[in-house]
Amino acid sequence: MLQLQRASQRSAARALARAARWQAARGYASSSEPYDAIIIGGGPGGYVAAIKAAQQGLKTACIEKRGALGGTCLNVGCIPSKAMLNNSHMYHQAQHDMKRRGIDVDGVSLNLPVMLKAKTDAVTGLTKGIEVLFKQNKVDYIKGTASFVSPTKISVQLNDGGSTEVEAKNIIIATGSEVAPFPGGAIEIDETQIVSSTGALDLQEVPKKLVVIGGGIIGLEMGSVWSRLGSQVTVVEFLGSIGGAGIDEEISKQFQRSLSKQGLKFLLNTKVISADKRDGKVYVKTEAAKGGKEEELEADVVLVAVGRRPVTTGLNLDKIGVEVDNKGRIIIDDQFTTSVSNIKCIGDVTFGPMLAHKAEEEGIAAVEYIKSGHGHVNYAAIPSVVYTHPEVAWVGKTEQELKKEGVQYKVGKFPFAANSRAKTNLDTEGQVKFLAEKETDRILGVHIIGPNAGEMIGEAVLAIEYGASSEDVARTTHAHPTLSEAFKEAAMATYDKPIHF
Amino acid sequence: MLPTLVRRSATARKPLIHFIGKRQWPAHTDAPHPHPYAPAEIKQAFGEFTSKSASSAAPSQSAPSSSKSGSGVQAYEEFWYAPERLWRHTIDEVEIDAILSGGATAAKS
Repeated sequence: MLQLQRASQRSAARALARAARWQAARGYASSSEPYDAIIIGGGPGGYVAAIKAAQQGLKTACIEKRGALGGTCLNVGCIPSKAMLNNSHMYHQAQHDMKRRGIDVDGVSLNLPVMLKAKTDAVTGLTKGIEVLFKQNKVDYIKGTASFVSPTKISVQLNDGGSTEVEAKNIIIATGSEVAPFPGGAIEIDETQIVSSTGALDLQEVPKKLVVIGGGIIGLEMGSVWSRLGSQVTVVEFLGSIGGAGIDEEISKQFQRSLSKQGLKFLLNTKVISADKRDGKVYVKTEAAKGGKEEELEADVVLVAVGRRPVTTGLNLDKIGVEVDNKGRIIIDDQFTTSVSNIKCIGDVTFGPMLAHKAEEEGIAAVEYIKSGHGHVNYAAIPSVVYTHPEVAWVGKTEQELKKEGVQYKVGKFPFAANSRAKTNLDTEGQVKFLAEKETDRILGVHIIGPNAGEMIGEAVLAIEYGASSEDVARTTHAHPTLSEAFKEAAMATYDKPIHF
Repeated sequence: MLPTLVRRSATARKPLIHFIGKRQWPAHTDAPHPHPYAPAEIKQAFGEFTSKSASSAAPSQSAPSSSKSGSGVQAYEEFWYAPERLWRHTIDEVEIDAILSGGATAAKS
């Protein structure tokens, strides 16, 4: 009886408490129910993972601090640089190329503010597009900076002020990378005179002289843009060749010749020691990589493009036991799992090349691992593209790698000069180069320099992904007249002989 | 005119590339392996890494700072934070009477 009395008192109190706290609890309804997946970072890895997770029926949220989705790629990387490359190429053609095509245009001049605005419009359109995709797929978009409280709980410092806590069974870290500072700290990026790729996409006037430190993809693309718009560009590279990691030596040399013809200057095997700002100019001190032979380069703007480094600041990784390696990359296994079992990690912030499409593939695979325990990324078939003119693209092994591994291989090449469409387009610089295993004819690598190389490489990636032979490609009909016939003929050259060369 | 497939089977050449069809995953999940791009020293110490990852799955170890909900198991501070289906709904006549009468009916019986 006494028990019952207590019970009824308790339930009366409970009913009151429920009524009183219901209102308060309602406001935080979503925060009390944990997500199936939270993705930290809304770049090409993170937003793709978020959409995929939602499509798989997981209750998903994506935390992004930039205030716009798309990450480095969409906001200050791939996308704005392609806008500038495309439009600067048109400007350059109007000035130097249209005449020979029978088009006389007078008074061609550059309106840089409009060109920059066209770039910004492209970026805004695309980032807003992802927000729409989030809504369509019911991904909760949280604008703020994430920090782990526990392996399943994240506190978010909201961009609009205040903070919130969210909980999830699974978390994917996709925080990406940032511009690496110049090694040793001798050069400080101010984004006006000494710029990173971010500043190089937003120069308000064309610098007379531009010095680019680093002859990798970013340096060459931005160097091309400003060279076309009128800068004298000098590229300083520590290594003996341009194009960055993984480029075939032969293609790299041909590429350097092409860019040199366009007016870019190259200082290879050269080390940059310092960059000093004096009287509105920047003076870049260099010396030969092996020592000696100092030189000073005068520049209006210096672009530091020496690589990128992973971003994990503020995440509180050490608190929850997620390990990073000595380069600051989060350590994962081949299923993207970190040292904490419910936390996965993808993209630039972990191992592998820092490429948007690599991050996207990993994002999808990571979600599939969460959902079904299986996923798929083939690291042997990830293409690289340089969007200069001519474009350069490759996938798979280089000749140098095959030699080093002692693989017996065949080479097949076809120049665009012998391709009908390239001829009609008056755009014949470059070649397609196939590398196939000698015994089986299986394609091991494809290297393209020439018009449309970036689109053409897709066929090579497909071929490598599914183990095609060069004869398989050569026996596939390619429409005439197209640039892709050069691809087919290079395949013919690999297993037999090309027709048109 | 023969379709390509028929013609192909009639000729000697067998393409290296072939049709895979819809992907079927095996029912069991694969064991983790080192990431292909991991540096050599991490690949070598991979056993250590997997044991860390596996031990982190235990809720008591994984959430030192939070008293509840380690990983996977959800705990609620108050029952009304839980989904409604988990709430206690059945309430018997005696209890209702006891509440309505301020406990008087309970005292009587």
